[in-house]
Amino acid sequence: MKKTFRFYFALFFAKCTALLLKLIGRKGTSMPGSWAIILCPDFIGRITKPKKIIGITGTNGKTTVANMLEDILTQNNIPFFCNRSGSNVNTGIASALIANSNLLGHPKQDLAVLELDERSAPKLYPYLQPDILICTNIFRDSCKRNAHAEFILSILNQEIPKGTKLVLNGDDPLCSSICPENDRVYFSIDHLDTDKTVCENIVNDAPICPNCSGPLTHDVVRYHHIGRVHCTRCGYCSPEADYLATDIDLSAMTMTVKSGETQSTYSLPNSSTINIYNTLAVISGLLEFGLTPEQIRVPLQTLHISETRYMETETPNGKKIILHLAKAQNPIACSRAFENVRNAPGRKSVLLLLDDRHDAMHTVESKAWLYDTDFEFLNDDSIVQLILVGARHYDTYLRALLADIPENRITHMRNERDAVSALDAHADTIFILYEIHSISLSEEIRQSILDSAWAKGEKPAGD
Amino acid sequence: MKIEILFPEVCNLFGDLGNIRYLEKVLPQAEFCSTPLCGDVRFVREKVDLVYLGAMTEQTQERVIQKLMPLRDDISKEIDGGTVFLFTGNALEIFGDYIENEDGSRIDGLGLYRLHAKRDRQNRHNSAFLGEFDGNAVMGIKTQFSISYTPDDSTGLFKVVKGVGLNRDASTEGIRVHNFFGTYLLGPLLVQNPPFMRYLLRLIGAENTPLAFEKEADEAYAVRLEEYRDEAFVAEKAPESNKLPIPKLPIRFKH
Repeated sequence: MKKTFRFYFALFFAKCTALLLKLIGRKGTSMPGSWAIILCPDFIGRITKPKKIIGITGTNGKTTVANMLEDILTQNNIPFFCNRSGSNVNTGIASALIANSNLLGHPKQDLAVLELDERSAPKLYPYLQPDILICTNIFRDSCKRNAHAEFILSILNQEIPKGTKLVLNGDDPLCSSICPENDRVYFSIDHLDTDKTVCENIVNDAPICPNCSGPLTHDVVRYHHIGRVHCTRCGYCSPEADYLATDIDLSAMTMTVKSGETQSTYSLPNSSTINIYNTLAVISGLLEFGLTPEQIRVPLQTLHISETRYMETETPNGKKIILHLAKAQNPIACSRAFENVRNAPGRKSVLLLLDDRHDAMHTVESKAWLYDTDFEFLNDDSIVQLILVGARHYDTYLRALLADIPENRITHMRNERDAVSALDAHADTIFILYEIHSISLSEEIRQSILDSAWAKGEKPAGD
Repeated sequence: MKIEILFPEVCNLFGDLGNIRYLEKVLPQAEFCSTPLCGDVRFVREKVDLVYLGAMTEQTQERVIQKLMPLRDDISKEIDGGTVFLFTGNALEIFGDYIENEDGSRIDGLGLYRLHAKRDRQNRHNSAFLGEFDGNAVMGIKTQFSISYTPDDSTGLFKVVKGVGLNRDASTEGIRVHNFFGTYLLGPLLVQNPPFMRYLLRLIGAENTPLAFEKEADEAYAVRLEEYRDEAFVAEKAPESNKLPIPKLPIRFKH
C-alpha cells in the first residue's frame, strides 16, 4: 500500500499525541493508534513494516508466550520492538508501529514481536503479514466478544495470510487445523504424569472431528480438549510433532525438546501444564526463527512468568499470598486457575475477585460463564475457605453451591475489601484470583492482607 | 420422570447446560438422558417429560436441522400433544421456518412455527433483558449473531419490560407454542429465574418439588431484579470496541 498525504498526516498526528501522552506521564495507551486509524483507516497497511514479524495469537497464554519470547530475545541482545506495554488489538498494534517508526513511517528495528488478538484478525491480517505466527490454543472465551471457538477458527482461517508460517499446538485439534494450506510446524507434549483419558472439565470445545464431524476419540486428555485424539470414522488423528517435549521433570523443573535428530534440555519457569505448553511454544517459535538451542536454554534458566500474572509473597508468619490471574468471562482461564489452586500444597483460602465491574460499566454484564467454569475444582478438602465478593456475589455463591462446595466453607459479601477481615486463620496460603481489570484492587488487597492479623499473627494451635 | 437433553456434546454453549445441572439437583429421582448427535432421539418413540436443547454454533445448527428434519412430523405431533420443550439460545431457530445468512442464502428449518432468523456475524448482539411471564419477572442476557422475526407477537413467550425482544420492534421475547418454550435468554435461565423454574416444574408434574438452594436462588434473583428495575439500569450499551477515548474529527481526506 502506498503512503498518502492522509497517512502522513495520521502518522504525524499520532506521534504528536504520543508525545503529549508521554509529557503528561501516561504509558501503554493505544490512543496514538486509535487516532491513526480514525484518520487513516488502513494505516497499518500503509506504514512500512519491519523485515521480520513474529506474531503470537490464540485464546490463552499469548501474553505469557510473548513476554517470555521477548525476554529471551533481549537476553540475546537481538534488537526488536513489541506491543508489550500496549494492547493486542488493531489500535495497540498501530501504536507499537508508530512508536517504533520515524516520521516517514519507516521502522527503527528490523524485527517486531507482536501479540495479536485472535478476535481482531479481520482488522489485522489484511494489513500485516507475520513471517511466523505462533498459535497457543483455541478455546471458547468471552461469549459476548468471541462468541465461540468455531467462530474464532473461521475468522483465523479466513484472514491469516497464506505466506505466514504457523507454529501450532499439535495437541489442540482446533488449533492444529488452522489454515491447512499454510507452511507449519507442530509442538506437542509426549507424556505427563497427570495425563487422563476422560475429560473432567465441563467444557470440551472439540467433541467432533474437524475433518468429517464424526465423534472424536480422546486418547490422552490434558485439560479440556487439549490432548491427543483420533477419529474412527475418517482416520483423522493429532499431527506428528516437529517439536516434542519429553522427560518432563517437575522436581528438577526441566524438559527435553526433540526436533528431528536433535534434542536439548530446557528449564521450566512454571510447573502448570498450560505453562509447560507456553514454554514449548516459545522454544518452538524461537527455533523456527533461527535461534540455537543454547541461545534459548541459557535465558530460560532465569526466566519468570510475569508478576502481573502470578506472584507469590511470603508473610511475616511464614504464610503465603499468591496473586493468580484468572480472567473473568473466560471459563477456560478460570478453570485452569481453579485447578492450579486445588493442586497447590497446604490448606488454602481462595478469594475470587472476578466480579467484572469493568464489564458492567462498559457493556452487558454476563454471569453465564460461571456455568462453563469448573467450580468443582474448588470443592476440595485442602481448600478451607472460598471467599466470593462483588456486586454479583449472590449469583457466584449459588454457582459454588451447585458445585457441591460445603456451605460452611463459603463466605460471600458485597465489599471486596471486607474479605481481608474474613480470612480463615487456618489457611496457610491465600490465593487471590483476579481478572485483568482488578489488578490494582488485587494489589491493594494483597497489601491489606500483609498488614492483617492473618499474615502477622500466631498460627492457630494444632497447626 | 424422564428428561432428554438433545446433543449436549455440541449444544452446550454459554453455560447453558447449567440449566440441566440445576434440574438434576432439583429432581434427583428423575432420569436424565443425554442423546448425542449420532444417537437416536428418544422423545419421538417414548414418553419424555421435558426435552431440552441448548445454544450451539452456526454449523451445528445446520447439523441439528439435518438430524431432526426427518422427524419433523413426529415432533409436530409431540408439540401439539403438549410435550414440554425448553430450547435456549439459537436452538429456537431450529424449529422455525428458515435461517437467513448474510449473503441472503437460506437454511430451511423444520417449519413448526412462523419464525425466521437473520444472521449477522459482523455484529454480535449483546444485551440484558427484563421481561414478564405469568405475573413474574424474568431476567437474562442475550448474546447472539442472529435476530428473529415472527409475523406478530402472538407466539411471544416473555413480555418485554426492558431490553430487546425477538427483534428491536418486538414487544415479546422468545416463542411459545403449546408447551414449547424457546428463548434467547441465557443466564442460565432456570437458575436465574426461580419463578419460571417453578412454572416449568408444575408443567412437568413436579409442582410440589422445592428448588435446590431455594433461599439462595431467590435471594440472588431479588438482588438482580432490584438492579434491573432501577431506572439507571441500561439493558444495552455500545460495544466496547466502538468506544474510542477521543471523539472522531469531522475531517475527510481523499485516498
